[in-house]
Amino acid sequence: MHEEDFRNELPDDLRSLWEKLDSIPGETADSAAMKIRFNAMLDAYHETVDRSRRAWWPLRPAVQFVIAVLILAAGVTIGRYFAPSRPQQQSADLIQLRREVGDLREIVALSLMQQQSATDRLRGVSWSNQIDEPDGKVLSALLDTLMHDPNVNVRLASIDALRRFGERQVVRRGALQALTRQQSPLVQIALIDFMVELQEKDCVGTLEKLAQDDHVDETVRKRAALGVQDFQQRQQ
Amino acid sequence: MQHTDERLMLSVRDGDVRKLGLLFDRHHQRLFSFFCRLTGNRTVAEDLVQDVFFRILKYRKSFREDSRFNTWMFQIARNVRTDFFRKHPAEPSLQIDFDVADRSPFPNQKLEREQEREKLNRALLELPSDKRELLVLARYQELRYDEIAELLNVDVGTVKVRVHRAMKQLREIFNKLSCEKNKCTRKTSETSCPTI
Repeated sequence: MHEEDFRNELPDDLRSLWEKLDSIPGETADSAAMKIRFNAMLDAYHETVDRSRRAWWPLRPAVQFVIAVLILAAGVTIGRYFAPSRPQQQSADLIQLRREVGDLREIVALSLMQQQSATDRLRGVSWSNQIDEPDGKVLSALLDTLMHDPNVNVRLASIDALRRFGERQVVRRGALQALTRQQSPLVQIALIDFMVELQEKDCVGTLEKLAQDDHVDETVRKRAALGVQDFQQRQQ
Repeated sequence: MQHTDERLMLSVRDGDVRKLGLLFDRHHQRLFSFFCRLTGNRTVAEDLVQDVFFRILKYRKSFREDSRFNTWMFQIARNVRTDFFRKHPAEPSLQIDFDVADRSPFPNQKLEREQEREKLNRALLELPSDKRELLVLARYQELRYDEIAELLNVDVGTVKVRVHRAMKQLREIFNKLSCEKNKCTRKTSETSCPTI
């Protein structure tokens, strides 16, 4: 019926060719073989879903977030219900609760930072800002993000997140190492600023090299030169 | 009671993934034929059909309440086709042997008909891929003007114009192929090429 609509729209000279197209037969599919392949694909899908269901921690960040919030809410409710009246006990419980909330935030942040989507990883880096005293895992995840994440925005966000922990030696070393490897001018400039802010003297040599390297972006070279100048002025 | 394609797809979207099997049963032949006509290759067509259903499963959440399954499925099929031609830029070649029973009692007529059919199919495969796809959709896939227009994201008038242009180009290629075939006879008989 639809085919007729098209045919009627054509001028007579093309209509005969249109009708001749009918002579090209349609191919018949090997339905049985194709259905076997299709079922195999469906089974593989089910297996993947089952496996992810069996895992104790769900893969989807949104679900992880909801579970984290539910656990938190349950913790608060139970805590209030069983809270003894003694102030000393209350404060111990509060400390315990805070620690648990901190742990939850760490889990959410770490999990988000491992996601495929750059938006999720960005969210993971932001989550790490909510952790008061992150342990080694979070810091090393942030440094790993700074070093290896393919997305410039995520790498820049990780520098911001690491800024709070600039006094830690591991962060200083990691940032300096990243400065020697990064190719993106934006990230290089952010790292130079970070180093200058930290007054990390070990980076002077690296900054001098950057300032003189013709392959490096001009703005980066200028910023590195300014950084060296800043160090020299402070020493005087 | 038989469910509509849309209802089945909504069930798949909402987690009843096994229902996709019913949609496969209903549409795999149609998609296979679509890809065969575009690629001229059965094996490739089978792979592409599987790819379409894999993507339907993967992107099932994008199927909306007001979506038409037919159009949505062909949108995915077109993307699969585009990706395939991007990865394999070589022109499609005719690798299908047509085995159609011809009831004509005259062997010469049968041979002529077969030759013409082969030429026409070759002409179809020589069309630029977008025009070939349009003709396949309009001629063989039983899609309406408005469905094709939605699929190509253009208005109905544009579809009509494009079908007309594609048919004109198909005729040119078909006539050219007929000329090449009849070169030897033309030299001796000095007759012009047969045209449609």
